Amino acid sequence: MKPGDELPVLSVPVTRTLIVAGALATRDFTDVHHDPEAARAKGAPDVFMNILTTQGLVSRFLTERLGPGARLRKLSIRLGTPNYPGDTLHVTGTITSVSDDERAVEIALMGINSLGRHVTGTASMTLSPQEAGS
Amino acid sequence: MTVADLSAQLTAYEGRSAVLGGRGRDPVDAAMIRHWCEAMGVPGPDPAVPGVGPGVAEAPPAMLQVWIMSGLSGAVGRTAAYEELVALLDRAGCTAVVATDCEQEYLRPLRTGDEITFDAVIESVSPRKTTALGTGHFITTRTEIRANGELAGIHRFRVLRYAPARTRTASPAERPRPVINRDNAGFWEGVAGHRLLIQRCTACGRQRFPWLPGCGECGSPLWEAVEASGEGVVFSYVVMHHPPVPGFEAPYAVGLIELAEGVRMISSLVGVAPARIRIGMPVALEFVRAGDQELPVFRAYEEGL
Amino acid sequence: MTAAAIVGIGATAFTKDSGRSELALAAEAVRAALADTGLAPGDVDGMVTFTMDTSPEIAVARATGIGELAFFSRVHYGGGAACATVQQAALAVTAGVADVVVCYRAFNERSGRRFGAGVRGREPSAEGVALGWGLPFGLLTPASWAAMHARRYLHMYGLTTEVFGHVAVTDRRYAARNPAAYFHGRPLTLAEHAASRWIAEPLRLLDCCQETDGGQALVVTSLARARTLRRPPVVIAAAAQGAARGQEQMTGFYEGDPGGLPETGVVARRLWRDSGLGPADVDVAVLYDHFTPYVLMQLEEFGFCGPGEGGGLVASGTLPINTHGGQLGEAYLHGMNGIAEGVRQVRGTSVNQVPGAGRVLVTAGSGVPTSGLILAADG
Repeated sequence: MKPGDELPVLSVPVTRTLIVAGALATRDFTDVHHDPEAARAKGAPDVFMNILTTQGLVSRFLTERLGPGARLRKLSIRLGTPNYPGDTLHVTGTITSVSDDERAVEIALMGINSLGRHVTGTASMTLSPQEAGS
Repeated sequence: MTVADLSAQLTAYEGRSAVLGGRGRDPVDAAMIRHWCEAMGVPGPDPAVPGVGPGVAEAPPAMLQVWIMSGLSGAVGRTAAYEELVALLDRAGCTAVVATDCEQEYLRPLRTGDEITFDAVIESVSPRKTTALGTGHFITTRTEIRANGELAGIHRFRVLRYAPARTRTASPAERPRPVINRDNAGFWEGVAGHRLLIQRCTACGRQRFPWLPGCGECGSPLWEAVEASGEGVVFSYVVMHHPPVPGFEAPYAVGLIELAEGVRMISSLVGVAPARIRIGMPVALEFVRAGDQELPVFRAYEEGL
Repeated sequence: MTAAAIVGIGATAFTKDSGRSELALAAEAVRAALADTGLAPGDVDGMVTFTMDTSPEIAVARATGIGELAFFSRVHYGGGAACATVQQAALAVTAGVADVVVCYRAFNERSGRRFGAGVRGREPSAEGVALGWGLPFGLLTPASWAAMHARRYLHMYGLTTEVFGHVAVTDRRYAARNPAAYFHGRPLTLAEHAASRWIAEPLRLLDCCQETDGGQALVVTSLARARTLRRPPVVIAAAAQGAARGQEQMTGFYEGDPGGLPETGVVARRLWRDSGLGPADVDVAVLYDHFTPYVLMQLEEFGFCGPGEGGGLVASGTLPINTHGGQLGEAYLHGMNGIAEGVRQVRGTSVNQVPGAGRVLVTAGSGVPTSGLILAADG
């Protein structure tokens, strides 16, 4: 693993179920994440994904790509275009730095949907010895 | 209150507490972890994490904020300062809220049974910003989250509180199209090339607009097109409120422009609030694009500006 | 036999594809006919064409240098109209309502009225083009066109929209006492007018007439015959049409000062001339009120008061106007119900009867080529 390595893409269909289940699983009851009428009243065409679900999907991407022993230390994300039902979120990541002992890595993240950049961010992770050696 | 006044009032909240002595509704629990893992599509909580002990599961780090969410029953534990800040923004029309940034640092894993406490500080309130969603202010809070009294994570969260932009922005492409036939096609060809053409009778020299295939003064069918300077004044105007017209957001101003050449034409008045339009106000030609159609419009210039 | 004659003829080339608009063809034919007579465009004061023609009389006039019109008429039923246009002209000339009348018809029947790659279907007519100049700028309703005049009117005389309120209040006061009126029993105050919502500033909702489903008919016969019938005759003391130089349909912004109604001026001069009467002789005026400002401008064009003084005149109540409640208050039937009110006033049967009313002025829609009547008691 070295800087510049690209992690395999994770593609997640953005279903209405994912949006609502994600909002409730993160205890976020803001109406725009489950009520299409309320979302329209606030200028959106439909319900859209909350930030905590995006964060969960990004963390899923990192854990799946770097192995179950990898531990998330820092995660910073910024939201861009909304995730509406029917879209697909494609999460990508690039290794930006690897420590000398290959235990600590930093990743630049991006999640793209049909409207553009849904999320950008950075993550810091520590790897378990066996994963660091792979 | 002016924009500057509001910004000054908002800035005064920086550094003040948003939440003091906050407490998670429940200890970290396996059901909530499972619920989260199922929604995100990851394996459920593993109760056999090495070194944790039987029957104890570790929560995914990204769940950090979940344990301090208010839930359906509403926010509790917010300070008066934070409530005042929100009320101030509400009164300024910033009634909608959307999260934009989240930065988290995970210092200690959270495990089932951990009691969660937290404190939050208003780190910054931005000046007025205009975004695609609407105009408003970013509020950044920094929350320290503890598990059984031990610092477990730092959560920096930024929301935009904003006045929603109109739910349906009129698209200029939907505007009624010009009516074009052989008698006035030359005018619209000129507009496509950003030239404002009027007719001049080659028999008597009279300049005319609207376009016609003959002179109203002498009756001659002979004419040539001449380019107008684009300078003029407001001769009369209307502020349209009703009915809705596709491609326009009411109220909008329509002017009767008297050009320097002495002819008059109907056009949009831009660059001036309808209430500030006055007859005699100087205007200058601009071209705008509505879909695939170029249109001549006139920008008004207020005296002394 | 009539005392009228045909004095000139003119035509375009006859082709399969003229390459020009129908208005351009009509204008060329009219120019040729006038050249044949030796008369100037300014000598023409009447025009007749087919209802099917796409080039309005006023558009042909604007493109040929013909000025004010005192007679314009259209005949229905396609080709059946041909000789009838001449008959209309002859009637006008022998009746003395016009001196020189041009009859015309022009079309691109063969080339199918198609042109240009980007336009589908029929080529827009001259009428469509004239109204179309405001479309892409969102000026496309009768109220918006009237408002452009109204703004200029207020500016010219330094007035506020309260002057429009006087018209609305007066109409509704009469309507409130008229059981046939839609707004029977519902008078209006100036404050209510001022509080009504904007439609097209400076016009409010209560400056715009209502919309109505309904009908109105009138019967005309000779005065000799009329005297044999059961109702007292209401004499048509004068009748006139009017179109101004450069006349448009509601979009007459381009010439002169749109604070007035030049077509109404044409009608006024004709009516006063033909009746031998003047403003002081009129007992009741029924003035077409699609939009309140036009009532004020009509009062001024007819000389009931000076320019800009219409609002004050209406507020004073010295001249009874729109005693049926007007189209704002009674019904909007394109002015035909106003003629009926004129008849009732002369008969002495109006619900808002003006005692001894013997002479009534009735007008038609203004801002467009218009008309008017002076109705009078017999004898």
